[in-house]
Parts: sequence; structure tokens; C-alpha cells
Amino acid sequence: MVVVKLKAFEEIVSKLKGFRKIFILGCELGSGRCKNGGLKEALELSERLKGLGFNVVGVKSPGGTCILERIDGRERSLLKEAKTKGSEVIVSLACGAGTQLIAENVDVPVITGVTTLFIGAEREGRIFNEYCIACGDCIISDTGGICPVARCPKSLVNGPCGGAIEGQCEVDKEIPCIWYKIAERMKKLGAFKSLCESAPFKDYRKSVYPRRLILEEKS
Amino acid sequence: MTFGEKLKAGKFLITAEVAPPRGTEWKDVVRGIEPLKGKVDAFNVTDCQRSMVRMSPLAMSKLLLDSGFDPILQLTCRDRNRIALQADLLGAAALGIRNICLMTGDFTTLGDQKDAKPVFDLDSVQLIETATRLTEGYLLNGKELKGAPRFCIGAVFNPFAGPFELQVMKLEKKIKAGALFVQTQPIYDARIAEEVNDLVCELGAVPIIGLLPIKSLKMANFMKKLNPTSVPDSLIEGLERSENPAKYGWDYTIDLAHAIAEFGKGIHFMLVGKTEELASFIDYLKNHKKYNHKF
Repeated sequence: MVVVKLKAFEEIVSKLKGFRKIFILGCELGSGRCKNGGLKEALELSERLKGLGFNVVGVKSPGGTCILERIDGRERSLLKEAKTKGSEVIVSLACGAGTQLIAENVDVPVITGVTTLFIGAEREGRIFNEYCIACGDCIISDTGGICPVARCPKSLVNGPCGGAIEGQCEVDKEIPCIWYKIAERMKKLGAFKSLCESAPFKDYRKSVYPRRLILEEKS
Repeated sequence: MTFGEKLKAGKFLITAEVAPPRGTEWKDVVRGIEPLKGKVDAFNVTDCQRSMVRMSPLAMSKLLLDSGFDPILQLTCRDRNRIALQADLLGAAALGIRNICLMTGDFTTLGDQKDAKPVFDLDSVQLIETATRLTEGYLLNGKELKGAPRFCIGAVFNPFAGPFELQVMKLEKKIKAGALFVQTQPIYDARIAEEVNDLVCELGAVPIIGLLPIKSLKMANFMKKLNPTSVPDSLIEGLERSENPAKYGWDYTIDLAHAIAEFGKGIHFMLVGKTEELASFIDYLKNHKKYNHKF
């Protein structure tokens, strides 16, 4: 999922100078899942803004703010609702993709209330770790299903660096060197020897943004 | 004989490290290593070591070359993509720099400009493959070069990093990719030095064992923090007991250097503070009947 983090309340308020009527849009996918921009946080933000005298005219959190039909569908359009209610500004707690999609489709300013962090995995309902950097050139079939491109700060594909001391990453002492995990896993799978092969150079064309995926229309 | 010629001839190698200045004043750096001219075979010129900006190692290598020293240009993957790395390697060769030592490099956030964008387009194995490709007359994309460089390629190895099997596997890849010599992180134990020496020889390259004289207990503890298993307790205890820890640390290193001169292929001094002392030690080694046949 896309993991986001709520910005400090003061920072959000600082971008709202000169506005009174505010519409807040969260997102139940990434932002809601990581409890940093779903309906609950949107409602909390609304209360705090009201406390400062803002007029919050609507709070919505669709299941996917980055999906155009969910924010601007034929039967139900949150964007039209925001317009009808006379919103002067929209505060989005959706990820960068959702927030931009809103901005593309409304005439009023859109302020983001979150920072988009990473594509991560969740555990215990509260721990989120970056597992993928969407490099476009996935190699995890060769590394025991563990990605060194995303989970080693240097994205090393041929093995650990010389800074991997006692299993720790040199860059972030809080995390293990991912190559220890890869080694362990590959041993378990009986595939350790396959790591002997020199890894091909990464093709960074595949991560040149902005990227797109267009599905063929079904005939 | 140049460093590369000695390497090929199987002579005992002595290298040392030079950090380019933070600024344009390079003459003091050269003056500082003057006593080692003709004694140390080649000087590793570090590439913004510990991710702190210094003069370009390519420029400093050329300045050393012009001053009568044989440089080993260190290049890391931290700040340059494959385009810039190939360009710098070609430039180095054109300037007469023959020795290169290629490594991944410290991460940006460990330095003093933590907000810099880390590159790491290639890793150390791939950078060595790249340099080898250039010596074969081609760019990475297969285009033919007008004039191919000649390089004596080196790599680095930290025997205290893990997982050990993967570190050895990576070392093997580096040597397979074209590394002719391997310089190690500082070692403080003759037994480990010998094991590493044998390992690198077995894999088909020339080992040059890293030595970094300990100047104080504080420095020993710092080294222990970086590489906990690298500093033996006996060294720490010796430093604690000694009235002159700097002398103790130096003598300890020299003892180790003696041992390596017996079984090994080369030593790499990573501190050029005591140049006069180092110069006389090298003279002693080269003239001693026990070792002189190796030089």
C-alpha cells in the first residue's frame, strides 16, 4: 500500500490563510489503512479547524481517492459536492496521486495535509516498512522474494557492502542488513549458490517517471 | 618499477592513503608525503571519504602523478552514474593514471552533507566490470572506444563485515570482474591477516593488508565501534596499560607489518601521519636480509 504521514496541524493551517470554507477529503485505501488520513483523521482535522474558526463544509473519505470514478462518479461526485457547498479550498489527506487527481478536476486550490512516504507492508496494524520502490525492473525472484533494491539504502544487487557489521545496516542501525535476510532465506530454499552469479545492471529506463500503464480495451 | 609492474612481478607492495584537501591547497598534502617518495609504491587517493566533500580524487591523482608519485585513484558509486564513471575512468587513463581502486562507497547520510542525493547506479562489482569493459575497448553500451585505457584494477574487502559467506562471494565476483589487487579494511591480528591473505590469493588476486596505527585508546574504541570484531582485546588492554599509547599503537602496527612481510604480498598504510617513521620502517624492511628478496 501507499503509506502517508499527516503533516503537522500548524503546517496545514499555514497553507489555509485567506480561506474560510473548507472541504476535507481523506482516503480509505492507503491513508486510512495507515491511520494518517482516513475518515477518522479527516474528522479530527475538521474539529480542530472548526476550533480555529474555519467553516468546514464537508468531510468525505472514499475508498480510493486516486480513482477518478470514486471521487467524480456519474451517480455520486464528491468534487461536485465540494463545489455545490461553496468550498474555497480542498484539504486532501490522500496520497500524492489522489491529491493530484483532485486538483486536476476542481477549480479551487487543493492543499495536501499529508506527505506520501512509500510503498510498504503493514504488520501489527501499526508498523509499516518500505518494501518496494517501484523500480520497474523487479528482481526479487532471484533474491528469495526479498528486495535489495528497496531494502538496502545503496540498492546493492551483488551482495552486502563492507559496512554490514554484525547483521546491522551501516546507514540505519535500527534495521538489519537485508543481505543477511536474503542469505538466510536462500539457504533455506537451497538456492544460495545462485547468488554467485554477477547480477545484471539495473535498467533505469524502467523507472523514468512519469510512467504509465494502459490496459488494452477488451473487444 | 611502477606499482602495476611490481604487482605483475609478484613483488611485495606497500601502499598508503592520501586524502585530497578540503579546498584547493594541495601542495601541503604532497609535501606531507615527500619522505615516502620512492618508498611507498602507490598512494590511494580517496574519493570524498566518509561522504565529505574534498577535492576530486581524479584531480588529486594527477597532481600526485605530476609530483612524482604513483596514484591509485579511488572511485565510488555514491556520486556518479554509469555515464560519469565511464567518463572519469577514460579521463583518468588519458591523464596517465594507471591504478584504480573501485568500491561502492560510504552512504551519503554518514557524511557532512546528508541532504545530498545518493546515486548508486552501479555497485562495486559492476563498476569493476565497467572498467574492465573499457580496457577491452568498449563502453558499457558496446560502442567502440577511440583508444582504450589500460588499468591496474583494485577492489576492497572488509573481513569483519557479514554475512561472511556473501562477503566472500562478492569478493569473488570482484576478482572475476577484473580486480587484480584487493586492499582490506584495517586488520589488527596477524592470524586474521594471514587468513585474508590466503583467501584473496586463493581467489586469484593480490592481497594488500590494511594497517591503521592506533594513536589512542579513544581511537581504538572508535575503531571497535565501527568494526567490533576487528580490534582485539589484547590491543585495548595494551593501550590501557601503556604510558605512551601512541607509541604502543605504532609499535603494534609495525610488529604486524613484520609478520605480513613474512607471509604476505603487501601492506596498505591507511594513515600517513608518521611519514618519517614509516619511511625508515620501509627502508629497514627493504634492506633486511629476511625480507629484501621480496622487494
